[in-house]
Amino acid sequence: MKMRVNRKTAILLCLVLALSLVATGCAAKKDASEVDKAADTNVIKLGFLGATTGEVACYGRPAEKGMKMAIDELNAQGGILGKKVEGIYEDNKGDNAEIANIAQKYVTRDKVVAMVGDPCTGLTKVAAKIAQTNKIVLFSGGATGTGVVDLGDYIFRNTLVDKNAVPAVVNWMVNKQGWKNVAIITSMNNGYSTALTPVFQEALTANKAKIIAEDTINDGETDFSAQITKLKKVKPDVLVFTGYYKEAALIMKEAQKQGLDLKMIGGDGLYGEDLMKLGGTAVEQKVMYYAGFTSDGASAETAKFIQDYKALYNEEPDMFSAQYYDAVMILAQAMESTKSTDPSVFKGYLATLKDYPGVSGKTTIGADREPIKNPVCLLTVKDGNFRSLMELIPVTVK
Amino acid sequence: MFWQQLLNGITLGSSYALIALGYTMVYGIVQLINFAHGEIYMFGAFAGLFLVTVVGLPIGWALLGAMAFCMLLGVVVERVAYRPLRGKSSRLSALISAIGVSIFLSTLMVIIAGTNPRNYPDIIKISNYQLGAVQFSSLQIIILIISAILMIGLELMVRRSRIGKAMRACSQDIEAAALMGINVNRVISFTFAVGSALAAAGGVMVAIYYNALWPYMGTMAGMKAFCAAVLGGIGSIPGAMVGGISLGIMEIMGVAYLSSSYKDAIAFAILILVLIIRPQGLLGQKIVKKV
Repeated sequence: MKMRVNRKTAILLCLVLALSLVATGCAAKKDASEVDKAADTNVIKLGFLGATTGEVACYGRPAEKGMKMAIDELNAQGGILGKKVEGIYEDNKGDNAEIANIAQKYVTRDKVVAMVGDPCTGLTKVAAKIAQTNKIVLFSGGATGTGVVDLGDYIFRNTLVDKNAVPAVVNWMVNKQGWKNVAIITSMNNGYSTALTPVFQEALTANKAKIIAEDTINDGETDFSAQITKLKKVKPDVLVFTGYYKEAALIMKEAQKQGLDLKMIGGDGLYGEDLMKLGGTAVEQKVMYYAGFTSDGASAETAKFIQDYKALYNEEPDMFSAQYYDAVMILAQAMESTKSTDPSVFKGYLATLKDYPGVSGKTTIGADREPIKNPVCLLTVKDGNFRSLMELIPVTVK
Repeated sequence: MFWQQLLNGITLGSSYALIALGYTMVYGIVQLINFAHGEIYMFGAFAGLFLVTVVGLPIGWALLGAMAFCMLLGVVVERVAYRPLRGKSSRLSALISAIGVSIFLSTLMVIIAGTNPRNYPDIIKISNYQLGAVQFSSLQIIILIISAILMIGLELMVRRSRIGKAMRACSQDIEAAALMGINVNRVISFTFAVGSALAAAGGVMVAIYYNALWPYMGTMAGMKAFCAAVLGGIGSIPGAMVGGISLGIMEIMGVAYLSSSYKDAIAFAILILVLIIRPQGLLGQKIVKKV
């Protein structure tokens, strides 16, 4: 008997709860849409895509800071077309489902004109599909992998694209340094890595380098002893590692442990302070990566940006803060020039952007809507910091 | 290269073995797969790091401190999350509770320490030795020796001591053991304490050896160790050791001679094969002699 009463009350409670949820849900929605309508006319909204917690938060946090700084500067100068700019910052935790929800929310609830981000290629693609369907501009300040802008004519990015940078880097490696025997390690559960490896392979073959060993790892693993023991047999001139900094540090540490003198080169996935923290002496002057931004040897605009950023946040800006900053500024310029906040109008300006002098280098959007950034910075670890090794001129496409 | 890879495999495997022991002991007594065990291992690694960097203890004391801390943590977890469910509800709810604790502990560590990987400062001077074609480091030797001492100590304790006898009694028939006047709750607490201490030792040593620790490190390690325990015969202590070391060797040899892409697949295919041929695991017995 008691059981029955319990169940009845439980069902009743559930019903009440469900009803109240529906009620509050409706109410909330109504409120929001009213606010939206009221706000729509004099505020321009930009949605931030990036993770501020989780595994890839080290890319998202500086990105968010760069974006906030750009928006504050725009508002201090009177906004865009006399309207106030508002950034909306949701944390996607580096999760595919999460970013889909957030992109959906930006489109339907916040009614943003553009989304800025994500730093990661895979996540960007998820949001890009939503942006394209809803005719909202997506401007990524970080996605370097393939197949991003191919998703549609509303999708752009301001970043050093791997397929432009890698040939320049490989040319330097093989022809200037004479590193002809190359080993490649790919991280199989990392989409960035599996996409970057073929780009390197193609460039290596084009430069007549010999790929003497190919191996794989997985993100999250810590034991690379077997891979290093294998590499010790073949002694490569350089190891191309296409994954992220954490595994890079642990691979180098293992090489040091086994007494293998190894140089590593990779994409901006190797960027991250933790590379030095985890790698210590094992990565010092041994790990190199290419990027579109370096905080030393900077131009005048870049120097001012670095100075302001330091004053604001008390830390050095990185590539993501610079590229997000630029992305916001380019969007602002596009809206100002076309005198429109309609994504279908100002996207036309973005598609023909030429030699935009950003803080992260010069950006041109090519005929294929891919950015061409100049220069390609090659960085290495020196005294526990990333320092510029040299600047390479990108092999311009077409 | 074969011998070098074998040594690599044994080192990796001994870390699996230390964690696997905790799974197997707890399962042997309460038939619970303690999914939070991987997180205890992770907490051990962080406790050791805290003791070394913040308190400034030498590494040996930090290792003992981390073990003591995890003993307490293991007992608390058992007291809070498992004991209230024991006997009153199905084993499935205890399992769900274990998954809950696992998520709680890793999230707690994310809040405390953040998600960035950390590492131990270079506290141990590592020297390398060469023996024929095999190169090994002092750290590897230390890890293998400590693991061996812990495992032999555990085996002796279970075989020879009074509490060990009580543990064996409980694993055979927990109700009969209670009727014979054994304080079953105390034995279970003790089992969690010992298993957790071993996991903590494994955590500290792995974090030093591979130079990285982060809040999610326990998830995969816990899975692997659980498989090692099953491979060796869940409930059997020597089985956990053999299972852990064989799993480590299989993984490394998979990378060395087959393909690293299929490393886990190879290891787990062998695991399935062994279980088809010997469902009780390598050292498990038909009438399972648990613990």
